[in-house]
Amino acid sequence: MRVVTVPTHLDDRSLDALAGELGPWPPEDRLLIDAHATEWASPAGFVALLTLGQALAEAGVPKPRLALPAGDGVAGYWAKVGFLGHAEPFFELHGKVPRRRADEQSDVLLPLTAIRDPHDVHDILDHVTERSTQMLRDELGLEASVVGGFGQSLSETCQNIVEHAGTGGWVGVHIYNFRRRLGRRAAVIAVSDAGIGFRRSLEATQAKRFGDRWSDGLAIETALIHGISRFRDPGRGQGLAGTKRYLARWQGKITIRSGTARVAIVPAWDDEPPMSEGLAWFPGSQVTLMIPGKETT
Amino acid sequence: MIPLDVLLRDATSAEYRNLVTRPTGAAVRGRVLDTLRGAPRTEALLDFSQIGLVDFSCADEVVAKLVAAVHNLPVSRVIVHGVREDQAEAIDHALARHGLTVLAIEVDTARPRLLGEVPADWRTVFGVLCEQGHSLAGPIAALLDWTIARVQMALDGLVTSRCIVRDAEGRCDVGVLT
Repeated sequence: MRVVTVPTHLDDRSLDALAGELGPWPPEDRLLIDAHATEWASPAGFVALLTLGQALAEAGVPKPRLALPAGDGVAGYWAKVGFLGHAEPFFELHGKVPRRRADEQSDVLLPLTAIRDPHDVHDILDHVTERSTQMLRDELGLEASVVGGFGQSLSETCQNIVEHAGTGGWVGVHIYNFRRRLGRRAAVIAVSDAGIGFRRSLEATQAKRFGDRWSDGLAIETALIHGISRFRDPGRGQGLAGTKRYLARWQGKITIRSGTARVAIVPAWDDEPPMSEGLAWFPGSQVTLMIPGKETT
Repeated sequence: MIPLDVLLRDATSAEYRNLVTRPTGAAVRGRVLDTLRGAPRTEALLDFSQIGLVDFSCADEVVAKLVAAVHNLPVSRVIVHGVREDQAEAIDHALARHGLTVLAIEVDTARPRLLGEVPADWRTVFGVLCEQGHSLAGPIAALLDWTIARVQMALDGLVTSRCIVRDAEGRCDVGVLT
């Protein structure tokens, strides 16, 4: 059995370390995903773990074990955000499994939710709209005018799965204190799928332009920076373009990881490189949006 | 007036309030076109007032593709009615991508505005026209201290894109919006 250690703090960037432990894909040995020492996971971390479970199932390898966090209350939090309920079909859970159901208190704007078809996107938006108005105002001090764009961005990011992935995925929306890099609270939308990824999605229409240079990084850049979609319809590609515009207005951040690359549109408050290539491969695509709360003086 | 909330429920067989996703947008557009096909020559007033969120993809399907599709129908123009600011932004973004412009009426103020790709001269002339009610090119040119040809060119663009109407004497206005 191959042991894959989950970082102590699992988020969109530390996912690289997790990916680095996966080894050749699909794995020859059964995996033990060891989250025993994990203290905290962002929504990006949760949806990525679910994606890993789904990708392993779709690869037809034996069901991996997942050692749950041992820390006080950590596994309870994983249950609260809806992770354990979604994880059960993909992982053999080890450790103390709290029987707490997913709920919607405190910092969870949207518990982890599966996205399979357009009706799921409708349900998510219907569910989130009223609650997000209140939470963005009360928790982040944002104006009502931020809320519409928040919903639009959430919708478009979820739709990317339905339109492009060729399989299902997950979304989670949390509000938490982004103390180290931002110094204030932020709303985080994290979406991940185990699908074909940006490079394969765009390959038929875009790869020829780049020849040997065609890569995961260029594929993400083509979609995110240049607004190009695999569809020839000129109206396509609007979702990411509109989301980008919204985030730019509110000093938000978008990160897309797919295959071996991550591309970010980085606001002034962050120092992540705009493009990271040569990362360890991870299945599917992961999109993370951050909308910072109001700066308090 | 075409109530989009009713068509949305009809198209999805669900009590959804938000115009989101491309398949939903395409289905709603199909129902709008069915409604227009059965009507005498008319303005297509799309009523957004009972709609919640509109995302960029759905705005593309419902409004931008509709504007491009009505040319073969007895429709004089498409007007977006009862829009909130966030809805207007999504529609504006979708139309601009296609180089299209439509007339919109805001939900709270009933103020007319242009959405989509709007050249600066069009926007300025449209603003004066809304204040004046109706006008020939000459008085607008005098107010702006522009040449009549420049104003005329902007008015021609607004008429061609069906954002305003022009009578036989050449007077322009935003038209009757009911």
